[in-house]
Amino acid sequence: MSPAVVQRWLAPTAGGAVLVAALVVGGFLYALTGGGARDALVTQMLINAIVVVGIQVYVGNTGVLSFGHIGFAGIAGYVFAILAISPERKATIIPDAPFGLADVSVSPAVAGLVAVGVTVLVGVVVGLGLGRSGARSGAVSATMITLALLFLVHEMAVNWTELTGGDRAGLSFDLGDSLGGNGPVVVALLASVVAARLFAESPWGRLAQAAREDDLAARAIGVDPAVLQMVALLGSVVIVAVGASLRVYELGTISPRFFFFDYTLLTLTMLIVGGRKSVTGALVGVTVITVGNELTRWLAGPDVSITGLDWILRDGLSEIFLGAAMLGFMIFRSSGLLDDWELDRWLFARWRTRRESRPAPPEPVRHSESVLVASDLVVDFGGFRALDGAGLSAEASEVVGLIGPNGAGKTTLLNVITGPVVPRAGSCRLDELLLTGLPVHRIARAGVVRTFQNLRLFPASTVREHVEVAALAARGHGAGREAPTPESLLVLCGLWEHRDRRARELDYGTSRRLELARAAAAAPEFLLLDEPTSGMSDSESLAMIDQVRAIASGVGAGVVVIDHDLAFITGICDRIYCLDQGRVIAMGPPAEIQADPRVQAAYMGTAITAEPSAGGSTPTTAPP
Amino acid sequence: MTELIQQTVDGLGRGSEYALIALGIAVIFGVMHLVNFAHGELITVSAYVAYFLFTLELAWWVYAPVIVGTAVATSIAIEFVAFRWVRGAPDFTMLLTSFGVHFVVAALFVMFVSANVRNFDRPDWITNTISVGGINLEVFDLVTIAVTAITLLATVYLLQRTMFGISLRAAAEDFDTARLMGIRSNRVIRGAFVLAGVLAGIAAVFVLMRTGRASPTAGLTPMLKGVLAALIGGLGSMGGAVLGGFALGLVEVLLLARLPDGWVGLTNGIVFLGIALLFTFRPQGLISVGHAERV
Amino acid sequence: MSLLEIDDLTVKYGSISAVRGAAMTVASGEVVGVIGPNGAGKSTTLGAVAGLRSPAAGRVRFDGTDVTGWSPDRMLRAGLALVPERRRIFVDLTVRENLLVGGATVGAAERSRMLDEMVELFGALRARWNTSAGYLSGGEAQQLAIARALMSNPRMILMDEPSLGLAPVLVDLVFGLVEELRRRGRTLLVVEQNAVRMLQVADRAYVMRSGEVVAGGPSAQLAARADLFEAYVGRSAS
Repeated sequence: MSPAVVQRWLAPTAGGAVLVAALVVGGFLYALTGGGARDALVTQMLINAIVVVGIQVYVGNTGVLSFGHIGFAGIAGYVFAILAISPERKATIIPDAPFGLADVSVSPAVAGLVAVGVTVLVGVVVGLGLGRSGARSGAVSATMITLALLFLVHEMAVNWTELTGGDRAGLSFDLGDSLGGNGPVVVALLASVVAARLFAESPWGRLAQAAREDDLAARAIGVDPAVLQMVALLGSVVIVAVGASLRVYELGTISPRFFFFDYTLLTLTMLIVGGRKSVTGALVGVTVITVGNELTRWLAGPDVSITGLDWILRDGLSEIFLGAAMLGFMIFRSSGLLDDWELDRWLFARWRTRRESRPAPPEPVRHSESVLVASDLVVDFGGFRALDGAGLSAEASEVVGLIGPNGAGKTTLLNVITGPVVPRAGSCRLDELLLTGLPVHRIARAGVVRTFQNLRLFPASTVREHVEVAALAARGHGAGREAPTPESLLVLCGLWEHRDRRARELDYGTSRRLELARAAAAAPEFLLLDEPTSGMSDSESLAMIDQVRAIASGVGAGVVVIDHDLAFITGICDRIYCLDQGRVIAMGPPAEIQADPRVQAAYMGTAITAEPSAGGSTPTTAPP
Repeated sequence: MTELIQQTVDGLGRGSEYALIALGIAVIFGVMHLVNFAHGELITVSAYVAYFLFTLELAWWVYAPVIVGTAVATSIAIEFVAFRWVRGAPDFTMLLTSFGVHFVVAALFVMFVSANVRNFDRPDWITNTISVGGINLEVFDLVTIAVTAITLLATVYLLQRTMFGISLRAAAEDFDTARLMGIRSNRVIRGAFVLAGVLAGIAAVFVLMRTGRASPTAGLTPMLKGVLAALIGGLGSMGGAVLGGFALGLVEVLLLARLPDGWVGLTNGIVFLGIALLFTFRPQGLISVGHAERV
Repeated sequence: MSLLEIDDLTVKYGSISAVRGAAMTVASGEVVGVIGPNGAGKSTTLGAVAGLRSPAAGRVRFDGTDVTGWSPDRMLRAGLALVPERRRIFVDLTVRENLLVGGATVGAAERSRMLDEMVELFGALRARWNTSAGYLSGGEAQQLAIARALMSNPRMILMDEPSLGLAPVLVDLVFGLVEELRRRGRTLLVVEQNAVRMLQVADRAYVMRSGEVVAGGPSAQLAARADLFEAYVGRSAS
């Protein structure tokens, strides 16, 4: 069985099953020691676990904070209740229900399915809204949309009394008509946990996680965060809807406050405490908070009295515990207890490291005939003209350099080619394909991949994950070109020894090489490197020459490189463009450029920049 | 026509409360990048203080300064105990922290003060109306608008003509450069919380006059409206927050008047829907304060 | 005695040494330039002096006092003001308010006095006194940034790439200002990429490359060096 299959399918499924088994067995043992109340507690804990795992699928994979998932839960809960409650009962509590719903009679299973369906539809609409608003990790507007959803659902539940029974009575099932044993709950939990793990290990999940770590860098290797976030949202909504239906069935009743701020606080605290980036963490969080809650309830109850502390051991202690837990973790350990640790991933990594051997570096790949052309570009930032007719051309078989003083427009030119900046005039083409105006990720998929001046790695991801994710993003549009395996690229960049280390732990030189390896793994036709030697010593810069050359031939890509280190540039480039004040002032092979007085003047300034006058270096504008 | 004028005044009256709260939230967001969900606790605490004063049978004009003082004290306390630890943290952390603070304070309230709703007498003149050019207007609305206008003018004076205000605005725009100019971060942040406290306190006086009750959730709805108003205006913008507040008040009243009877309860719901749509199509709010990301 | 002494300074970003063993002095009344290519560590050095970063090793002495690791506002109160790279003026504030912020550390009377002085010195700003700073042109913005630094009447001013991003005519303006400040007896340490112009207005200069000071001396001497460009950008790999 290949490691890829184990990683993608076997490990997550087995791991998920083990986690659920542990939770269920633990709960079972606890319930044995007590009476009916404990049974109910364990059932509720398992149901909460489903809901929290559902939220984790979205929040954990996308990094977007959602207050709205309990809103989705509310929708599912109400749909389920309205459909599953018997018509006789409905006649007494909501006789005037619209659309003839008072007469509808379906089994709980069907009701649950419809609840999921309706909630998913709402999820699609909300997902489109989130995508349109540019949701990404840390985006306030996205969180506010989800908050609006929570309030909207609550308002409708409170006010549409014909359908929902309103605020006071709510809806309730006939006595005796409720969830029987834990069977359905355990099955649902197992399915949810396994689904969550499978999603996280799937290409969708992993690409979403890359976008979570750094939105811009992910787009630069071809990832489209909006699509992935929608998939994550819908998956999470399905799970939450199932959990909500079970919750309503178990409680036997529903009212607006069951799916509002209190439940949001509970579920979010569980997720945060355990670690929102991990399914294992979500389950750990559920356990810890449930135990803590019970403990505080017991402490606050009549049976316990501790001298000196009685003033706080009273009603409301549980809420303080929850709020304090949320606060405490946010201040001291915002990544939660487990951060992003997953049981099955940890075991799999161990198993793989033991078995695998160092692969061979890739064979040189033939360069294609592609040509990248940027021409007559004009870019204005407010009143400032950053590019004034600049352009360049590069073939896939060469290394082209771009030099010039600070503020000359080099990075702006790169940004225009790769997408973040749209020019007001001029165009960029890769062969026949017009790149200007395309979104960043499409340009990357077309084969134009960049690195960043300010290093944009995925801090929590391992070295290996960086290249794997880039390769995943490139699948399907590598256009039938032979691409080296991610592992061989790691060897090529001298990163094999570091493959299991997280990006945030790497030293600077290694980080730079990782950015290069990641870009190379995205099946590029052209690599656009933005100051790859920035911050390096002279010897490190010289070593980069060989590194970049090796990468370029390893993937058969052309290279356009911006840098200030002339030793590096002249050592690696076939041709060099020199930019100044947004224009190309010189172009040619390294020897020519170095000797060109215009280039020297651009770097070091000229004696007189205005009209030359007879008197030498008098400034033309005298200060007052 | 007369109806429209009455509704406009009514809407501005409500909007005044929202505008004051929203401005406080915008000020705090400006210097800390934090959406303060705990801002409502200032009103909740003030509500119970008002009830306490009521049991002492004091006059309403005594309440007002005490309420404002309470709001300021609570604001400073919350900053000192909770928010000071998360300065500079990512937005995700900040949002959840303020959420957590809201819950802890609310829970502490329920535990130590009261879980019960307490009613107190509202001032006699609350229901008075006066006739202006043949149109009946509520005195309360006029007073609210007038006091708010004065407060906003005073705030504008503070922000534009005092070193504190100018420093606050500088810090809200570019905290790092402000520090470079020697502006002390502690002073600016605490000052922001004090200012927000004063604004919320004044708003609280009117909220409490209007509702006459103290409950553990007294501050929740006003806070939410304030947050929404600040967001509508564009989170970085103080002027936007004020405009957002008035806009929200007007929309609420006009909607309330125009919706068919059965739908009245959905006013809030429609407002939320509108907010969601606004953020979908204009995530930066109505008046954007753009900060481009350097690639 | 020197007003400013930088001694064996090393500044790190994480594991990278952006500046290694830098040494410089600035005497009272001097204009000293720090030239070199981008990424040489010039701005980092300036930032370490201004208190933006704590150096990993080395000392900074200002008027005899060891100020190594002092915070920016403490440095400002000691008499050292910084004109940051890319100006960083407050676009939401008016020109006048920007200047007031620059004088935040001095008393109201002194601030008022300095404000009057700025009106006299910077004619272009006078016309835009109550305009929001976001509407200023590049040259006006640079003048504002310099004026703002002058507001605290500092003993010494650090300037980080004042001509960056300015059109040639405005570059003249900026260097003209530097010369004017020199005439008025101000002490300046100026980081610049425009080496030729900088050497025209400075008394002395240091050349930095790859984090180290590779040359230094009176500007006339440095300007005359035939291999200045090479010292600047490094030997080529051929």
